[in-house]
Amino acid sequence: MGGEEETYVGCEGPDAIEHALTSGTIKAMLSGPGQFAENKTSEVSFRELPSHGLSKVCMYFTCKVRRTNSSTETPEFPTPERALELLMAVNFLDC
Amino acid sequence: MASFPPRVNEKEIVRSRTIGELLAPAAPFDKKCGRENWTVAFAPDGSYFAWSQGHRTVKLVPWSQCLKNFLLHGTKNVANSNSLRLSRQNSDGQKNNPCEHTIDCGDIVWSLAFGSSVPEKQSRCVNIEWHRFRFGQDQLLLATGLSNGRIKIWDVYTGKLLLNLVDHTEVIRDLTFAPDGSLILVSASRDKTLRVWDLKDDGNMMKILRGHQNWVYSCAFSPDSSMLCSVGASKAVFLWNMDKYTMIRKLEGHHHDVVACDFSPDGALLATASYDTRVYIWDPHSGGILMEFGHLFPPPTPIFAGGANDRWVRSVSFSHDGLHIASLADDKMVRFWRIDEDCPVQVAPLSNGLCCAFSTDGSVLAAGTHDGSVYFWATPRQVASLQHLCRMSIRRVMPTQEVQKLPIPSKVLEFLLYRI
Repeated sequence: MGGEEETYVGCEGPDAIEHALTSGTIKAMLSGPGQFAENKTSEVSFRELPSHGLSKVCMYFTCKVRRTNSSTETPEFPTPERALELLMAVNFLDC
Repeated sequence: MASFPPRVNEKEIVRSRTIGELLAPAAPFDKKCGRENWTVAFAPDGSYFAWSQGHRTVKLVPWSQCLKNFLLHGTKNVANSNSLRLSRQNSDGQKNNPCEHTIDCGDIVWSLAFGSSVPEKQSRCVNIEWHRFRFGQDQLLLATGLSNGRIKIWDVYTGKLLLNLVDHTEVIRDLTFAPDGSLILVSASRDKTLRVWDLKDDGNMMKILRGHQNWVYSCAFSPDSSMLCSVGASKAVFLWNMDKYTMIRKLEGHHHDVVACDFSPDGALLATASYDTRVYIWDPHSGGILMEFGHLFPPPTPIFAGGANDRWVRSVSFSHDGLHIASLADDKMVRFWRIDEDCPVQVAPLSNGLCCAFSTDGSVLAAGTHDGSVYFWATPRQVASLQHLCRMSIRRVMPTQEVQKLPIPSKVLEFLLYRI
């Protein structure tokens, strides 16, 4: 977490965009009318969010896109210790 | 009198997809009563489905085979027909070879509950010491509550009678097991009491819970087994501490008999259904009402709601995703609700419905009717938001009072308290 930039690892290519649009915030950043730097590079960085939280979010995106049509199982629950931290991040990301 | 608020166009509400039906066989002689299906239940591990078929019989079917039959043979299935090809020869039934059973309980069956010695996921773990009645590993039991006040305990795999609990003097209206695998059973009776039984201690009755002034209709354990909710006639909704067996509080708000209750899977919400045409969603830790789901519009004033009206809500059940509930009312409809919307998201037609229950994986809703039949629908499902999954994970271990002390922004706090 120590001040490093966490780029959205693990998701590249055309699928990545679809997954990332699960987050309302990211969707707004990448497609909004404003002049976000992210629009040019198509890269979103979240410096304040811990990396384990971000990886959970990536896992959730993948899970959601894969399972939206055949929802026979729910995605894995985060453990209670991490859940509060994750909730703050996810509240920001709106997903 | 409308079933939905005026702003809602009833025709635009999605109809749920039917999955199947289990119709009661024609009665040998036509009796006016005794055929009712007062309870349906799924085993905690999803292996079995049970319902009271009327005329003192309970039917137990392996659930996955039942589902397969619906897909293969179409939605209509008369119970006992040959199309239900289930292995019957193995009366020494084991977990891996589930058998169908028809059990004659000897008296009208009013309530059913499955009990497992395996704790449900994310329940607190209990140190079990076995006493005289030595249950084997992974015991799955079915408790049946009868009209004469007796409770019979059956082994689900073999269909054999294990215990006969005698103490209540009137109809056993509801039964529920603690979800922590301790095999503690609570019975709710028309004799105005609830009794707590320890099935691993030979069915020893541990405690009588007194407080109701009238019939007790239903009871439910919180998912962490620390609280019990009991509801009954004369607007009663009580919460009990199940470590000390004392009453925590009364929840006031309903205007008529309260007949059903269910906790959300994280224990943060309690749903109650009443003859006053309403389902209320409460915060059981603080006692406040969070949501109201109406079944009659305009909603009846308290005096009318407290008397005869034609929109008694008979049953309510929480889905395992913690986001949906299902309610059954006398206007011949099953309604599926999201806990954050005050209008149903799906409906399904059902006449004379008495009880409903979600399947263990939450994908199917079963509802029992007056003539002993059961109907099944696909439930509205969607991948829950990650925020909701975090919320459930936190609320499973944190009651309202602790949540309120967290140093978090108010918007997140309101979300965690289900107040948005």
